Amino acid sequence: MATPPTGIRIRSYNVGFGDCFLLTFSYASGKPRNVLIDFGSTKQSGTGPSGGMKEIAEKIREDCGGKLEMLVATHRHADHISGFGGDTGKVIIGLEPEIVVQPWTEEPGLDPEASGPDGGGNGALHARAAVARLSAMQAMAAAALEQVPRLQRAPGVSKTVTEQVSFLGETNLANLDAVRNLASMGKKHVYAHFGTKLALGRILPGVQVDVLGPPTLEQSPAISHQTATDEEEFWHLAERHLATVGGTDGELFPGARKARQIPQEARWVIPRIDRMRGEELLAILRSLDGVLNNTSVILLFEVGERRLVFPGDAQLENWHYALRECDEAEAIRERLASACFYKVGHHGSLNATPKSLWNGFEHRDAKPEPGRLATMVSTAAGKHGSTARGTEVPRKVLIDELTKMSDLSNTQSLKSRSVFWNDVEIDF
Amino acid sequence: MAELRTRTMEVVAQDPGVLRDGRILTTSVKVPWEDLEPGPVGHRVCVVDYDSSTQTMYKPTLVGEDGGAPGRDEELMGDPGFHARNVYALVMRTLARFEYALGRRVNWGFRAHQLKVVPHAFEEMNAFYSPEDEALVFGYYRTPRGVSFTCLSHDVVVHETSHALLDGLRQRFMAPSSPDQAAFHEGFGDIVALLSVFSLGEVLLTLLSGGAGDGTPRGGLIARDRVTMDALMDSVLLGLAEQMGGDIGSPRAGALRRSVRIEPDEAILDRPEYEEAHARGEILVAAMMRTFVDVWTRRLDSLGTIEGGYLDLGRVAEEGATIAASLLTMAIRAIDYTPPIHIDFRDYLSALLTADGEIRSDDSRYGLREGLAKWFGRYGITPGSDTADGRWSAPEGPLRYDGVRFQSLQTEPIEMFSLLWANRKRLRIDPGAYTRVASLRPCVRISPDDGLPLRETVAECTQYVRLRADELGQFGLTPPEGMPPEQELTLEGGSTLILDEYGRLKFEIYNPLPRRRSPSGNARAQARLQYLWENGAMSAGASFAARLATLHRRRLGLDDRIARSEVW
Repeated sequence: MATPPTGIRIRSYNVGFGDCFLLTFSYASGKPRNVLIDFGSTKQSGTGPSGGMKEIAEKIREDCGGKLEMLVATHRHADHISGFGGDTGKVIIGLEPEIVVQPWTEEPGLDPEASGPDGGGNGALHARAAVARLSAMQAMAAAALEQVPRLQRAPGVSKTVTEQVSFLGETNLANLDAVRNLASMGKKHVYAHFGTKLALGRILPGVQVDVLGPPTLEQSPAISHQTATDEEEFWHLAERHLATVGGTDGELFPGARKARQIPQEARWVIPRIDRMRGEELLAILRSLDGVLNNTSVILLFEVGERRLVFPGDAQLENWHYALRECDEAEAIRERLASACFYKVGHHGSLNATPKSLWNGFEHRDAKPEPGRLATMVSTAAGKHGSTARGTEVPRKVLIDELTKMSDLSNTQSLKSRSVFWNDVEIDF
Repeated sequence: MAELRTRTMEVVAQDPGVLRDGRILTTSVKVPWEDLEPGPVGHRVCVVDYDSSTQTMYKPTLVGEDGGAPGRDEELMGDPGFHARNVYALVMRTLARFEYALGRRVNWGFRAHQLKVVPHAFEEMNAFYSPEDEALVFGYYRTPRGVSFTCLSHDVVVHETSHALLDGLRQRFMAPSSPDQAAFHEGFGDIVALLSVFSLGEVLLTLLSGGAGDGTPRGGLIARDRVTMDALMDSVLLGLAEQMGGDIGSPRAGALRRSVRIEPDEAILDRPEYEEAHARGEILVAAMMRTFVDVWTRRLDSLGTIEGGYLDLGRVAEEGATIAASLLTMAIRAIDYTPPIHIDFRDYLSALLTADGEIRSDDSRYGLREGLAKWFGRYGITPGSDTADGRWSAPEGPLRYDGVRFQSLQTEPIEMFSLLWANRKRLRIDPGAYTRVASLRPCVRISPDDGLPLRETVAECTQYVRLRADELGQFGLTPPEGMPPEQELTLEGGSTLILDEYGRLKFEIYNPLPRRRSPSGNARAQARLQYLWENGAMSAGASFAARLATLHRRRLGLDDRIARSEVW
């Protein structure tokens, strides 16, 4: 039996709105082992490192001693993987991770551009269709982003709506460079789903890592929201449309006569249509944002009886399979209950920390006693959702609860340009 | 001048996916004549052809005396002016159908008189009614074979117009209440849309001619085995869905296909997969569509055949169109006979049977009421009334009319209120509640039995009670699990009163407030309370009617009740 680690340090870097966690396992003998979970940002922090993402990449290299044992890209949102592209990506490639873990939806064999089905029968075809839809959604995000200048010009569209369309559009853009780099990294690649066995004995001695999400389509069709509804047809058609046209430009009615002046009866209506347009784009982006979040890999690290939970941006639909639907749900809930560390899902949004999961954590405690649950959130307020609607990220009631019942580290409270990380240290 | 009462306009019969002889099928419809401004802008509809995606305002189109007949398909598809005329004609035709069925003018669900209609609002596969903007907006989207315009889909335009009209007739039907009410707007919109399409003989003729094989219609004849219920379900209903689903057809083909495929099951409303609003609405559509095809088939049976087992194709289509038009009138007329608050499918069935029975006593020719009762029953929808024929029961004994002036009862809400107040015990009016006469509508409908007018006055009375959760016991109700005692609540109730031409009460259709000090008999109110709580309708800012756009995009997935208890 492998010698288990003696402790772990979890370091979250201030990437602004995004996630970047370095897990460093220390051992009684031998060198520490490092796991990087995500490295991305869509909005850098005003109080982050002056060298931006590049400085964070260099710091990761320093912190892991130039070597990663494992790299996890929980899902393909820019705020989780943008750092794997460009110059920062080169730094990470240099850390030569032994194993790279991504969700099953990133499997290259399921790429819509691949030449044919991978022989898995109907299941594989459905999976390919789901992955194709993810690509269509990202193309849709690009199209939405192209609309931003028009939204900015339209007096009926609020600044908040325009900003959120812009923010969500960028988050959901395809990060081709990062995706290519991720594919090129790692001696071994695992495209994980609920129940995937990660053989890490040699790489991370004494650490068991269970994959609790995402479920496959067979396990839970709800995961991609692609049940037999109009929604499916929507994305299906959207995919065909984008595959052919690839954008929203091009005159709709060549040669049609335009009004020289806006007619009086239209002046009352036009700002309202523009406003609806902005809200519609935002609603679509929110919907696809949720679908991509639900492809997040959920990992449960276990050293002896100590457990640490890293759910990426998984929302309720992703969590639902592990917590409720699968055969082992009860046993999983029991194991999760004893967790000593929880990485707060999806930057503290309202529907990524299932209340039943949170209420089940046994080490929640109103008093700061030793052994109290440690939690970490990487977030930036004012980018996502609205306080008036109770959808703000991070959700205030959740942050209040985390503050009250756990030792919470929040990247938002980091103010130093030189010490741009939070640490949680746990002895095993 | 009699010839000016209507204007004939050319429209796309269903959508550009439905072809005849390789060309987009168009047809002529009659709409009320009016002196139009460019747009077209008339007294009820104002078409504004503005595209927000490209920020383009197209030149407002004129409607000529030819009604805007299209040329070749390319011209039809590529002329925004034709699109504007198409939506104008279809919205006006739908409005006229409502006014014909209800025997009076029908308002939109907002104060202004003109509905703004935007045929190319933005590049998106969506179309919806926005009450706060007093508008119907139609999106467009690009496909490998060209651009698909939702404003050219007959069923989409009529569906959205129905939302705007139903909102005008029963504003509280967009509020949260029950799974049935959530589904009703969508189901009703689909029923009106599909029956509107099928009331066009041209469409039926095309669909019936679309088959292949031995029974293929030849020389204006159609084989008897092609007009059985199964065959018509296949050729007409699924046939339409298939053509709608083409590359540039209607995005809602799937909804029709699913409705047709829902097999009758008396326990279907209790199945969890049919709790979601769209799926549940499709049950209503399924029951109505099967009624349509069944009645049509039986009518054809009674016609007999000519030439060795063949029927005249034109006659078959004409009978189908007539039946669709009759069912459409019934479906709309029934709204007047529904309670003002909290509709469920059972109440709608009783409303259908009663409203039609009042004006058309003889149902022997087509058996429409019989068909509706039969097919709704097979989907587990039994009448809300417990009478033998499923119609609302007549009230017991006359009302008190002390000091009520009959003449004003048709026009003055305050006069109607004085009648209600004088009879408050008898009419289940809670004297402590906030009470108002929400609408008062005199109508004149022509009976096909004898051609004489049937005069009625329809009044909606609504009541509201505000209380805290810990006061629910006064109404025999129990707070749902997890509801804090200080939770503020509003209970709603109301009655629709149908008065005859002498001001006498013919029907009282009610969903009253739960009765005080009456711990029993409030089961429906308790179920509603549970539903509202579980669906988050009582939380701050929650609004089921937030936007029909969202409802149209809503999807299945996680059980809402689980989700609600899991979010922060």
